[in-house]
Amino acid sequence: MLNFIARRVVNMIFLLIIVSFVGFWIIQLPPGSILDTQIQRLRAQGGNLPESLIQALRTRYGVDDPFYVQYWKWISRSLQGDFGTSFETDQTVAERIYNRLGISVSLSLTALLFTWLVSIPIGVYSATHRYSWPDYIITFVQFLGLSIPGFLLALILLITASRLWDQPIGGLFSPQYADAPWSVAKLMDFLGHVWIAIVVLAVGATAGLTRVMRANLLDVLNMQYIQTARAKGLQEATVIWKHAVRNAIHPLVMSLGTLLPALIVGETLIAIILSLPTIGPLYLDALRSQDMYLAGTILVMLSALLLIGNLIADLLLAWVDPRVRLE
Amino acid sequence: MTNAVTGAETSNVQIVSEDDVVRVQDLKLNFYTALGVVRALNGVSFNIPRGKVLGVVGESGCGKSQTGLSIMQLTTGRIEGGSILFREFNTGEAIDITRLEKNGPEMRHIRGNNISMIFQEPMTSLNPCYTVGNQIEEAILLHQTQDKAEARKRAVDILQKVGMPNPERIADSYPHQLSGGMRQRAMIAMALSCTPTLLIADEPTTALDVTTEAQILDLMRDLQNEIGTSIMFITHNMGVVAQMCDEVAVMYLGRIIERATIDDIFYDPKHPYTISLLRSIPRLGVARGEKLESIKGTVPDPYSTVTGCPFHPRCPAAIPGLCDAVMPDETFVAGSRTHTVRCHLYT
Repeated sequence: MLNFIARRVVNMIFLLIIVSFVGFWIIQLPPGSILDTQIQRLRAQGGNLPESLIQALRTRYGVDDPFYVQYWKWISRSLQGDFGTSFETDQTVAERIYNRLGISVSLSLTALLFTWLVSIPIGVYSATHRYSWPDYIITFVQFLGLSIPGFLLALILLITASRLWDQPIGGLFSPQYADAPWSVAKLMDFLGHVWIAIVVLAVGATAGLTRVMRANLLDVLNMQYIQTARAKGLQEATVIWKHAVRNAIHPLVMSLGTLLPALIVGETLIAIILSLPTIGPLYLDALRSQDMYLAGTILVMLSALLLIGNLIADLLLAWVDPRVRLE
Repeated sequence: MTNAVTGAETSNVQIVSEDDVVRVQDLKLNFYTALGVVRALNGVSFNIPRGKVLGVVGESGCGKSQTGLSIMQLTTGRIEGGSILFREFNTGEAIDITRLEKNGPEMRHIRGNNISMIFQEPMTSLNPCYTVGNQIEEAILLHQTQDKAEARKRAVDILQKVGMPNPERIADSYPHQLSGGMRQRAMIAMALSCTPTLLIADEPTTALDVTTEAQILDLMRDLQNEIGTSIMFITHNMGVVAQMCDEVAVMYLGRIIERATIDDIFYDPKHPYTISLLRSIPRLGVARGEKLESIKGTVPDPYSTVTGCPFHPRCPAAIPGLCDAVMPDETFVAGSRTHTVRCHLYT
């Protein structure tokens, strides 16, 4: 098992290097560079930039180097933990990313947890009460959840929350708590803000996974070993939760690998609407202004999350189902 | 001890034995589907004496598996009438299973403990996620003992009993690591782990190759002699019946059409269906080029009801005006107290 994990980690490192190289190449493909954006901004502010200053900036940022030189400058320092400086704000990339990445990952993990906690029991109920009224209602709500776009749901919830409960809109904190130290009141305020984000993030995946859970469990319930379990005299609850669910849960476990980065990327639009300080909007900005180091670092981080998520999913699956364990 | 069951209605053809562990009376089972009602069992009656093996034979869809599942109350159909008296022979207590709540504590106490069942598909009848030992222990922990170490010991013992080499290792194996024959042995071990009064074996060897089949049948016969469990052996294979059973019930379209001892069925079959069934078995020593007899026609559509004798459309000896109009009663064959047949030719 340890051998398996070690092999996977080595593979991951190679994959990350390839991803970062290709990603870096694609990011610099469009004409122009971060410097053009900067110069334009300075000119718009009315400054008269002498040619010598522009030339100095060009050398400093290294924008005239071929991209593989830029790539090497960035990656060699990144390996030592220095992701470089963001061209746009002169902050270090690490400074700009870490806070937002933390919020993104914890939001996504919470949404993932929410997805599982809701879709497993509802899927099981739906399968064991097939073609009953509750099942029809669940199915209807599922299709609603699948077909409403996240940004629309975000808007609806925002308006509802502010009209009905007089809740302040957007952000993670109300202004009076933003810089305050953590307290019970701040926590409550935070929860009041964050639930909309979690629900909006989770609703599509939840609807989908509930459906998958229902269909899979229905298949498993027709298996012979379920009959065997019943013939042993087990309670129906034991038959369902011990014998059936464990065999039906594979797609949910596998979804862990893809869901984590999908949630992080998928939240971009929602984060913009809800003005959440997450990684998505930052990534979008970095791409648009060709802030190479920033964009490249975010790309590598997201890829790493995808790979880690997949590794965790594989390990979980091996734990759930002995048939996929490696000898 | 036998008084407990005498209250049940018994028809004049009931082959009553003091020793019956199961007495099924006029069992009716329906399935209500979107396409209509399927009458799976239309008044099935039989009994299984203590320590005997009853073979239940018939074509696919004749209701033999549903009869077994009804005794376990595991059928998805609805039992509409009749009774299933079960007598636990240690206590002598008789219970009508049809009156028990389907998943209630009493029914669950009987399942796996007093009556257990093994199925046709050994490849899929064990849960792939748990070790064989774990699945056997589950039944023992449920019915016999609370002690996990003791349950483990018993599981290993029973695995040894069903002829597993290295039972300790098998107990820690997952089903996918075992062959079909081994899995069926494990299933038998699980079914016998609580020394049930009755074992329902639903085509336990159909999915196995012939060599393995012979081994499994030997094993079942040996264990049956040793433990004294009665067996309801469901099969469509007359060869297996000859090897395993003491008595035979032949089913056709949800009814038992002939019941007899093993010798009477093979040497003196009465019902035209039984006769055709026996003739359609290929034999060694029959002249080459001679055509193997088959039963003409097919089993009628399950949603329809056939008037008269259900076999009359395919029967070579059908009497027009009688067989297609009147349902024959089950009667004793002249001069026998063990051989019954449901056919107008013998009334």
